[in-house]
Amino acid sequence: MSVDERGVSAPAVRATARRILPPPVTGQELVLVGVIVVLWVLLGLFTPAFLSAGSIRPLLVSVAPIALIGVGMTFIIITAGIDVSVGGAIMLCAVVTAKSLVDFDLALPLAIALSIGLGLLLGLLNGVLIAYGRVHAIIITFGTANIFQFLALRVFGSSTVNGIPGTFDVFGRGEAGRTFGVPHSFLITIVIVAVAWWYLRHTSGGRNLFAIGGNAQAARLAGIAVQPRILAAYALTGALVGLAACFFIAAGTSTLDQAVGSGRELAVIAAVVIGGTSILGGRGSVIGTLLGAILVQTVTSGVTQLGWPSQLANLFVGVFIIIAVGTDLLRQRARKAS
Amino acid sequence: MTATTEHPSPAAPAAPPEKGRGLFSRALEALLTQRVVLLVVLIVLLLVGMSILDAAGVLSGSFNADYLASALISAVPLAMLGLAQLMVILSGRGGIDLSVGSMVSLTGVVFGFAYGLWGWSLIAALVLAILVGGVCGAINGVLVAYIGFPPLIATLATYYAYRSLALVVSDQKPVNSPVIQDFYSAAQSVELPLIGGSLPLIPLGIFTFLIPTIVIVWLLLNKTTFGRRLYALGTNNVAATWSGINVKPNRMAVYIASGVISGLVAVVTVAQFASARPDAGTSGNGMALPSITIAVLGGVAITGGIGRVAGIVLSTLLIVWINASILLTLPGNDGTQFQLLALGVVLIFASLLNGLTRRKYGGI
Repeated sequence: MSVDERGVSAPAVRATARRILPPPVTGQELVLVGVIVVLWVLLGLFTPAFLSAGSIRPLLVSVAPIALIGVGMTFIIITAGIDVSVGGAIMLCAVVTAKSLVDFDLALPLAIALSIGLGLLLGLLNGVLIAYGRVHAIIITFGTANIFQFLALRVFGSSTVNGIPGTFDVFGRGEAGRTFGVPHSFLITIVIVAVAWWYLRHTSGGRNLFAIGGNAQAARLAGIAVQPRILAAYALTGALVGLAACFFIAAGTSTLDQAVGSGRELAVIAAVVIGGTSILGGRGSVIGTLLGAILVQTVTSGVTQLGWPSQLANLFVGVFIIIAVGTDLLRQRARKAS
Repeated sequence: MTATTEHPSPAAPAAPPEKGRGLFSRALEALLTQRVVLLVVLIVLLLVGMSILDAAGVLSGSFNADYLASALISAVPLAMLGLAQLMVILSGRGGIDLSVGSMVSLTGVVFGFAYGLWGWSLIAALVLAILVGGVCGAINGVLVAYIGFPPLIATLATYYAYRSLALVVSDQKPVNSPVIQDFYSAAQSVELPLIGGSLPLIPLGIFTFLIPTIVIVWLLLNKTTFGRRLYALGTNNVAATWSGINVKPNRMAVYIASGVISGLVAVVTVAQFASARPDAGTSGNGMALPSITIAVLGGVAITGGIGRVAGIVLSTLLIVWINASILLTLPGNDGTQFQLLALGVVLIFASLLNGLTRRKYGGI
């Protein structure tokens, strides 16, 4: 048995290293991939149009904003928090950006910067209240959700925003929004998911988030700056909401109506939870979130293409949440028993 | 164990007031630690402020007892669901029920079918609504209490499921029939017998639904062992278990209660709209968010174990009258938008205050 200079035997070191780093892909993620593949094959068999580029592409375009916000939401939920204000924040970012596009004909980089900047501000507001006000995240974000909606409705006036120029077409469903047939918005999402995956798994900053979610008190005693980290998670989510708002504008027509963002907070949380992130904090992965978002969108688009009532999709989303979280709970119970 | 016998009422002072403390400091402590006092003060301030505005003639209508009484119609569903959240949040372990709005939609549709289309009697349809609500709540309860789902997740999932079912079984159309349209009479305002002549007309739902619910929930929480057990397991789940409380059925019971109350609210809502709308509890912001707001504003600690019926009733009155006041001050679209702002600001204010009191005085 080889012994290194610290006098620890090599297998022990390897075992510790293995314990510290979670597996790159978890069991739940593999199961999700399996479920998505099975669903796609089944849908392909029953509705031949499903597995065509013309059907998959819009699916990926609609996955992008949910998965993007889901990345931030995963960070937040890993710290044992939650943000139910993203729906209102999307609405506010989208309407301000759309109005500016119409009124000032902003260039693309400026418009993106405006949307992300505004989102960041909203996220910071949530973060400050939650990290320093020491109030339960769900209550604060319920409150800010109302305030964001109020502000957005004031900007909307009493009507829709019309005649939005095609500045965001690079993120849209059309030809301009694709490279090698893959939608740009989805590519950007993949890149951000990859960076977030690396950050959460391989940097001390990422590991700190897990520590905070596992036990905030212990994390503080271990010297982690708990409050700034929590603040940063909400700020990140805000910024991603800003980017996602650009995708929402791009995915629509030249008209933006007041339903934008409505109910999205629950769709994002559903994607995160289906992806295997524990709502109690301390456990989670962004790859799971991406897969969760794909699963939810597959069900939504599958139900429509099968000609079933579109509202039925939400029933499946509910059932998927219960199955995903339920199997996780049962696994944990089995582990505890053994 | 003390967990079962300790008095959980936030009104119980931690220590007898010291002699020599100023009236102001004691008044401040009462305001902060006794949510009921704060709410009464806020309601009085609101009424006085609006009366002054009324006298100055800047309102679009007159702010009087009749107006305040007619505004109470929206207090019925709000307060009832607030009471449902009170029980669920009290039970602790992150207790919350996001699915109340969906349960209202689903049971409302079922009630609409039974009463409006299948020709059931009102009593039979009412019992059916309560049963359906109870079953929906029982599903939440099993998931949370027996399988161990975090309540937020369980009720998020059933929020989706029940909302979807309501829309699918009704084919996304309101259930309507002459019987249901006549049922609107249940939402009318009535004159009280004997003393009613000198009082404003009061919505009938207050007497037929709200007051009975308030009384029953109050009796349950304050006069039964079930209520004592609920405060115990909300305060400390482990201590409650070790003191011999059968935690699982007790926790499940509050989710069933929440479902039953949602079923009753569904009947009220059908009467108000004169049709059974499949999106009654979920359109716009839905009913879950306002009911949670009511509970938090009413002094219910989101961590469980602390909360009173009186707080819910008063915070409902405050919210309903704030909303009514906003509508008088800013008519039309502006008014509804500023109601959102008011709800958000009040919620954040209340929760920051809850946190502050907890740190300063060790209780709400």
